[in-house]
Amino acid sequence: MSTGWTPGVPAPERDDLNTCVQCGLCLPHCPTFRVTGLETSSPRGRIAAMRAVQAGDAPVQGDFTRFTDECLACRACEAACPSSVPYGRLIEAARVQVEANRPAAERAGRRLAIGGVMGHRRLTRLMGWGLAITQALRIDRLLPRRLRFAAPRVTFRGMRRPLAQSSGDGPTAMLLTGCVMDIAFRPVHQATLDALVRAGYRAVLPEGGGCCGALAAHAGERESARALARARIAEMEQADVIVADSAGCSAHMRTYGHLLADDPGWAARAAAVAAKVRDAVEIDAPPGRPVEGRIAVHDACHHLHAQGIGPEVRRTLRAAGATPVDLGDGGRCCGAGGIYNVLEPEMAATLGEQKARAIIATGAPVVAVANPGCAIQIANHLTALGSDVRVQHPLEIVD
Amino acid sequence: MTTAATGLADRLRDLLGPDRVLEGDLARSLYSHDGSIVDGACGLVVLPETTEEVSACMRIAHAAGVEVTPRGSGTGLTGGAVPLGGGLVVSLARMRAMDEVDVANSCVWVQPGVLNLDVSTAVAHLGLHYAPDPSSQQACSIGGNVGTNAGGPHCLAYGVTVQHVMGVEMVRPDGEVVMLGGVAPDPPGYDLRGVVVGAEGTVGVVTRVLLRLTPLPPDVRTMLLDFTTVADASAVVQGVIAEGVIPAALEMMDRNMTLAVEEFVHAGLPTDAAALLLVEVDGTEAEVTTATAVVERVAREHGVRTVRVARDEDERALLWKARKTAFGAVARVKPSYYLHDCVVPRTKLVEIMEAIGEITEREGVMCLNVFHAGDGNLHPIIALDRSDPDETARAMRAGDQIVRACVAMGGTLSGEHGIGVEKREYMPLVFDHDDLEAQACVRRAFDPSGRMNPDKVLPTGTRCGEVGLADAQVPEGTWI
Repeated sequence: MSTGWTPGVPAPERDDLNTCVQCGLCLPHCPTFRVTGLETSSPRGRIAAMRAVQAGDAPVQGDFTRFTDECLACRACEAACPSSVPYGRLIEAARVQVEANRPAAERAGRRLAIGGVMGHRRLTRLMGWGLAITQALRIDRLLPRRLRFAAPRVTFRGMRRPLAQSSGDGPTAMLLTGCVMDIAFRPVHQATLDALVRAGYRAVLPEGGGCCGALAAHAGERESARALARARIAEMEQADVIVADSAGCSAHMRTYGHLLADDPGWAARAAAVAAKVRDAVEIDAPPGRPVEGRIAVHDACHHLHAQGIGPEVRRTLRAAGATPVDLGDGGRCCGAGGIYNVLEPEMAATLGEQKARAIIATGAPVVAVANPGCAIQIANHLTALGSDVRVQHPLEIVD
Repeated sequence: MTTAATGLADRLRDLLGPDRVLEGDLARSLYSHDGSIVDGACGLVVLPETTEEVSACMRIAHAAGVEVTPRGSGTGLTGGAVPLGGGLVVSLARMRAMDEVDVANSCVWVQPGVLNLDVSTAVAHLGLHYAPDPSSQQACSIGGNVGTNAGGPHCLAYGVTVQHVMGVEMVRPDGEVVMLGGVAPDPPGYDLRGVVVGAEGTVGVVTRVLLRLTPLPPDVRTMLLDFTTVADASAVVQGVIAEGVIPAALEMMDRNMTLAVEEFVHAGLPTDAAALLLVEVDGTEAEVTTATAVVERVAREHGVRTVRVARDEDERALLWKARKTAFGAVARVKPSYYLHDCVVPRTKLVEIMEAIGEITEREGVMCLNVFHAGDGNLHPIIALDRSDPDETARAMRAGDQIVRACVAMGGTLSGEHGIGVEKREYMPLVFDHDDLEAQACVRRAFDPSGRMNPDKVLPTGTRCGEVGLADAQVPEGTWI
């Protein structure tokens, strides 16, 4: 049977596609379907489209690419699916196909942002300095709206802020320094290191450090993602516990085993590292200080849907004396989706504004956000609505 | 596409803009399916947002003479929302507005794309809910519920959709907007709501629905009973109702289904039981206590193994999740399923379950059962792999025999899913020639040109005035 997939490149697997019975229970959980009402922007529709390509009835280019690009990969559908369709795996494979078929010029820009910059620590830091300068001079206002809304606030002080490691005796917990986290969220890193110490770990940083590869994997840049995974595995595998304080990173590192399963030299090491990964909110550290009052909780998709993490954030806040408040929007995606807000600015803006309004409606002065992409998107949309609600990582709140 | 069809697309695009008219091959193919295994052919998709836009679309379709299939969430199980002849799909998925709740009359006007569960969520703070609760309630739309006269577990005590629709606004095939029913309990004239509810999109496109809202019961108790034989469980179903207790819901699940569901929900369902009963009683605290005692006593008389009472709302939600996600969980067994929703008298439950067991065993297919036992509404789910033509043929044969067995026991074709494409050829099993022709005439009165969701509900060849008239020479213009 002839198929529409490009040969020699990973594609959605037939067995995975077969797990969908088209019942449609995923539809209301999909943020893009909620906005458009279109079958073409629903998980069921995207799977049907993958089946059409698989059967040779549709090409990868054109509409299939458009439908695939529109997906946030939030995986809310996965948690709702009674057949446990591995949607995350399907959409990532579909994206590898899409990238393999994307016109070279269009692809170059995406690669530059994902593989080219985020993959190299020096370039990431250089970009950080660039952002710090443009923001200090306030010339970032000249950037197109889509880039401004996706850019974190970066300061010279934040970029240079040193991180204090501990020298205790407990088991070794190594913190992923990452890419965006390292240039814009060092206070979160420090709060996580402090929490690890309170939990009885010897908190350390890797030699070198860098991106886990999640952004590359989500964008279909599989080889970049694999290279980054190998680098992180080599740096971190000696630790007893591997900690990430970004939901997207912890979720992705837990898939290292699958990502490198066909690489004989790395498969076992990757699986071992994946098994040691803990998200920062899972370490169960006693609070660093008491906190009073209401705190709104935004569940990152890569927490709630990809890892089933949600109660942990609330427990952390409650342990410090705070009152966590749910947003009442069923944990819908904020529209950040890695670099989705750069690539699909309209949809991202609709979802970002919805999320900001839901946060403001709680009346809480602070919102707990445990993922850098969400934090940037939410902070920018709160500012755009004139709100002064602060965005902080849950561990930062109790640090 | 033909020139005429291209002209149609142009006119619709002028009306709705380019984003709400889908013409691409891939997009159209996604609208050629619903939750069933029926494959269709969709020519064009439009997504209007207001009654006026629907009316304008219908006028354009009327002028062009194209067939129209309305679609809600596309979760239907009989192909009702699948266009068969390459016609126009009118998706109501963007019509999601709800009016203010009329608290004095306990009702609310909603657009057809509003999801069933969203209604109950939106009115919960008023102590109200929308009672019909199809298992797909998180995803299915009110418009689709009206089309199929949808049921649900709680319809045993509360009644099906038609009992909860006080009025509908509908766009007729020529674009005219009509209002049927309303807040008044008994509007004068014929009650045509009953024609529209359950018409499966064959008489027009419903654009607004006045829903009756029901007070939330002050107390609820949910019980899970497990049995070593299906016969014991069936006896409890009959016994409880014979005692004068009508539970809010009374659901049965067999062992195959329990195994598939437990793997998804991890609700601690006893996977070694032959049959589970999920029983919910509601009312005042005293009513609930009395009803619970009756259910427990009858269950013990029929050898129940364990009686598990949900301790809190979380456990209750988990038990219902097990029930309501059952269809989807079938994919753990096979990639597709073929499903009937025929009904038998409650007294025939044991016999029909045995017959289903024999039929599916004879055809060598796997059957999973989960159904509304309280009203005898079966859901035998035959799991199949459609890429295996032999298995598909065996599944179809088994389904056919199950339907015939139900009818032979005094039952009927469908309890709540509708007839659609899948069951239309069975209609002559329960209706004779005159009955079918009378129904065709009702349809024709609403849709003289026969363009509304054609080839659904009534078997092929049933046309008002056409059936059986081949020999009779009727003069032109004669009113039949």
